[in-house]
Amino acid sequence: MTRLTHHELIVFLLAISTMLIFSRVAGELGKKLRLPVVMGELLVGIMLGPTILGQFFPDLFTYLFPRTGNVTFAFDGLFSLSVVMLLFVAGMEVQLPLVLKQGKVAIYTSVSSMVIPFFTGFAVAWYFPSLFGQTPNTPTHLLFSLFLGTALSISALPVIARILMDMNLFKTNIGMIIIASAMVNDLFGWLLFSFILSLSLHHGETMGLGYTILYILGFGVFMLTIGKRIIDKALPWIQTKLSWPGGVLSISLGVCLACAAFTESINIHAILGAFIAGIAIGDSVQLHEKAREIIHQFVTNFFAPLFFVSIGLKVNFIQNFDIVIVSIVMVLAFIGKVTGASLGAYWGGLKKREALVVGFGMNARGAMEIILGTLALNAGLISAPVFVALIIMALVTSLSSAPLMRKFLD
Amino acid sequence: MEQFDLSKLKGRPAFPFETIAVAISFSPRLEALLSESKRISDKLQANLLLIHVGEKTPEKETRLDKLISKLGIDENKCRINWMDGEPVDTILKLCKLNVVDLLILGALSKEKLLKFYLGSIARKISRKAKCSVLLLTNPTEEASRIKRFMVCAEENPKTIHTVNTALYLAKKFNVGEISIVKEAHVPGLAMTMAEDSTAPEANRMRRNLAEADEQELHSVAEKCDKDGITIIEKVIKGKPGYTVSKYAREKKADLLILNSPDTQLGLFDRIFTHDMEYILADLPCNLLIVHSRPH
Repeated sequence: MTRLTHHELIVFLLAISTMLIFSRVAGELGKKLRLPVVMGELLVGIMLGPTILGQFFPDLFTYLFPRTGNVTFAFDGLFSLSVVMLLFVAGMEVQLPLVLKQGKVAIYTSVSSMVIPFFTGFAVAWYFPSLFGQTPNTPTHLLFSLFLGTALSISALPVIARILMDMNLFKTNIGMIIIASAMVNDLFGWLLFSFILSLSLHHGETMGLGYTILYILGFGVFMLTIGKRIIDKALPWIQTKLSWPGGVLSISLGVCLACAAFTESINIHAILGAFIAGIAIGDSVQLHEKAREIIHQFVTNFFAPLFFVSIGLKVNFIQNFDIVIVSIVMVLAFIGKVTGASLGAYWGGLKKREALVVGFGMNARGAMEIILGTLALNAGLISAPVFVALIIMALVTSLSSAPLMRKFLD
Repeated sequence: MEQFDLSKLKGRPAFPFETIAVAISFSPRLEALLSESKRISDKLQANLLLIHVGEKTPEKETRLDKLISKLGIDENKCRINWMDGEPVDTILKLCKLNVVDLLILGALSKEKLLKFYLGSIARKISRKAKCSVLLLTNPTEEASRIKRFMVCAEENPKTIHTVNTALYLAKKFNVGEISIVKEAHVPGLAMTMAEDSTAPEANRMRRNLAEADEQELHSVAEKCDKDGITIIEKVIKGKPGYTVSKYAREKKADLLILNSPDTQLGLFDRIFTHDMEYILADLPCNLLIVHSRPH
């Protein structure tokens, strides 16, 4: 068995320590300037990565983050685990009953805020592939077009929830419509993305398109009906008979990883298993709020910084900054999402100004877009310049959401 | 008993309950259901409309006549309707035609899984009725004690009518105190606070939310026509429907009162259970669903 050598272990632990401490410091500084924590984490990644550290102190960069050897495998495993955990907690906050409760307006908003940006992104990528460096009429062209549509249609529940909380809108009608619609966006966005990833990663393997769809739907339906029922029955026992909070923590994370392993084994990406497991566990009435908080704290404060810092380690943001691609992605993101969500809310019965508040609220992409982009980059679906454009778009939409919402609030 | 014209239905207030319908099925619980319905209609001085959807046979007629006579139901204030057809729609149509204010149904506390998903008659009616519905889980032949009233005060304009209906019933049943309960649920709260909240910030956020819930509940209580009845206010944390159901069971409530649903609930609402569906899945006690007719 290959093992980390004494030196490699020291490097591995030092690198993690550096990432955690620096990202926390940056996060706290960013908080003073009212910037999202994820922005600080990304900046730390850029500073520690090839963009800054690699440029000015290449030896230190290569020492801390070696590009070859066993440490890279260890990092790869850790980052894969991080993204699985992030998707698990993202799923934990998706509560489909909330959408049903909000009724027509939430359904219109969520459908329109997915469909319009999806087709906007898909059409531009399909008809103007050269803008993104794609070769027309190739399998990657289709996958890229599907991906861009999906990337533009997704929302970021965590950042949206935070914005609404800060603006005192969380429990208002508008707040609940935004939250419910973002949940639907997340669910279908990740389902679709898993499908695209599955096609991209297992291109040419035996499982056909029909089977991929069937497996994704079958797994989702099973987990959200029978699986959820089993979880509902088991959680009270776990939370009262096993050690607290260790019992619920290890069983929940165990279920998440088992589901992730299952979806990976059937050639659908592990993230889907984790996301659906998160929905099934998080939506259970039996899950104590304290247990939910502990899981969130654990993932958000350990795995999230590692993942977001690691993004900056992989890509040189200066070299891959392409103003044309950034501008196109930005314009498409704003037009598609704000128009789609606002129109949906308006058709659902909201007044024009309220509908625009919903539109700008749902425009925040935040961490979810960054995760999506990273996975797409790793899978070879997108180029580094498109990835950089997506990261910038995620940050700009997240930062601009609250001020633009305020403009239309009475 | 006179037939009302349909124009009287729109804008009719949620109470008083002047016409009470009882859906009867000639099950072993028939006598208990009729006894309970008779006691309720006496207290509310309401007319009684007995509805049976199914074949009218001499045996059934004799059994019902005997029961009416045994229970002392005033025949001048009671009418029987024998109907054919699909039970749910037939009962609901008849309730509409007769401007029924309250429909009483017997219901099992919990139904088998498949039946719950497919929808039993009582549950289907509860989801669709355009009048208030009372589900009696354990009707008795002896005088029962419906004393502990609990109202689920959700954030909805209908809630004020529901609390006033509860107060009206409390007066008629000589109940001096009712509880109104608000379920505090903020989806996404854990996620929102996990990232960048210090402990004092998180506590302040929680406190602000709790205070807002208490204030909202208090303002509902303030607006109601209490008329000497004490209102106990309580905010409980948890998912709507499930939490109040659990709380009603813990507090041994006799009657849980809630708003009628804003939209017609369907199979999806049972699969992705929420709000009233949690209560219907496992009734904690008798359940009154108050239908406030819009003006």
